Amino acid sequence: MYFVAEVNEKECAKYNCKQCVLFCPEPNCLNYKQSDHTAWVWADRCKGCEICVYVCSDLLKRHCIEMVMVKTGD
Amino acid sequence: MGLEYVKISPGFEKYMPRDYVDLVKFGQFGKEIDVMQLGQFKELVEEHPMCAGCYMAYFIRVFYAALPKPEDTIVLGTAGCARLALSQAAVPFIYGNYGDTNAVASGLKRALSIRFPDKDKDVVVIAGDGGLMDIGFGMTMHSWFRREKFTTIMVDNEVYGNTGGQESGMSPKGIQLKMAPKGKQFDKINAVELAQVAGCVYVARISPTNPKRIAKVIRRAILAARKFGPTFIHAYTSCNIEYSIPTREVLADARAREKKDFKFYEWMTDEVKEYLEEIERKEKEKAKQEVKS
Ligand SMILES: Cc1ncc(C[n+]2csc(CCOP(=O)(O)OP(=O)(O)O)c2C)c(N)n1
Ligand code: SF4
Ligand code: SF4
Ligand code: SF4
Ligand SMILES: [Mg+2]
Repeated sequence: MYFVAEVNEKECAKYNCKQCVLFCPEPNCLNYKQSDHTAWVWADRCKGCEICVYVCSDLLKRHCIEMVMVKTGD
Repeated sequence: MGLEYVKISPGFEKYMPRDYVDLVKFGQFGKEIDVMQLGQFKELVEEHPMCAGCYMAYFIRVFYAALPKPEDTIVLGTAGCARLALSQAAVPFIYGNYGDTNAVASGLKRALSIRFPDKDKDVVVIAGDGGLMDIGFGMTMHSWFRREKFTTIMVDNEVYGNTGGQESGMSPKGIQLKMAPKGKQFDKINAVELAQVAGCVYVARISPTNPKRIAKVIRRAILAARKFGPTFIHAYTSCNIEYSIPTREVLADARAREKKDFKFYEWMTDEVKEYLEEIERKEKEKAKQEVKS
């Protein structure tokens, strides 16, 4: 079991923002869907560092990313 | 190298790994990507084993997105954490022996200019503080004294991260590390000033807090090296493991350091300045035209 980031896409879409995507250390892990104006996480690539949570919650006060527990194979 | 080199031969597409097909279809080859498009194209660097929240890994991610011509670039690395990601990218990577990067890059760049006299082939060294300012110090300096035309990027985590936390010449004075229990006795080396004195034509110091600025600096350093001589970027890229930074605080730490000893600094010779301003003016004009049409 390990933690990965999960974007609340409905909330995120309100902002047209993309900031977390620009600060994630992992390639093609946090991505952006232009059509829906929302960030999304490719969970297999996420290392659970929470830098995106720092960006979205601590810096921007938008609180659209949550860390969730997943099991290997989920 | 070159665009033909990265294309998939007809008929072979279905046998190629999905990531490679994506790279050719949705990647950077043959295009100039704006770093602000990150997350909307297939990046050159793949999954790699660098630690969670490592900002050296982040810097490398932005580095690849910023390359002016990835299909004509060779990256040189060495022992140390950075090569763990550099070796997982779709850009040719050469592993120079620890300390030797700038000697290998010198030979490589000269060979490329003989083999391809009318093409720009970019050579970029990315190595750690230990690799460039301690064990490879002589090679680094002499490549600059000789005015070799390639870019050196020091990813400075202020420690030997890959070997468990020995102090380096770039560790700050007084810092206690696992293998520097008494605290470092000497000042941090002023790498940027050394680079300027040793003959670099473009020098920058940067903390990774602004992807647009990182990309601009990388692009400038590479373009200037093509024409004028050695260029150097000193990047703060924290090691959250050896410096015990909670990963959630890694960007906050980069922002705090930027306010103190990693203030953004950029210096270039007058001719480099003139050259870059001309290129950037043309790019702006082109972008304006594109918006209009
Ligand atoms: C000639 C040689 N000496 C020593 C080593 C062992 N070694 C591997 S990585 C490393 C230190 C890496 O520190 P740095 O260059 O700062 O890179 P970092 O891991 O911190 O990114 C050392 C001493 C080696 N591989 N080769
Ligand atoms: S920082 Fe938050 S609001 Fe902005 S794109 Fe990311 S998840 Fe959405
Ligand atoms: S937790 Fe870290 S690796 Fe995962 S999406 Fe957020 S920033 Fe990227
Ligand atoms: S040891 Fe430090 S520098 Fe190396 S990958 Fe881990 S966090 Fe990054
Ligand atoms: Mg180091």
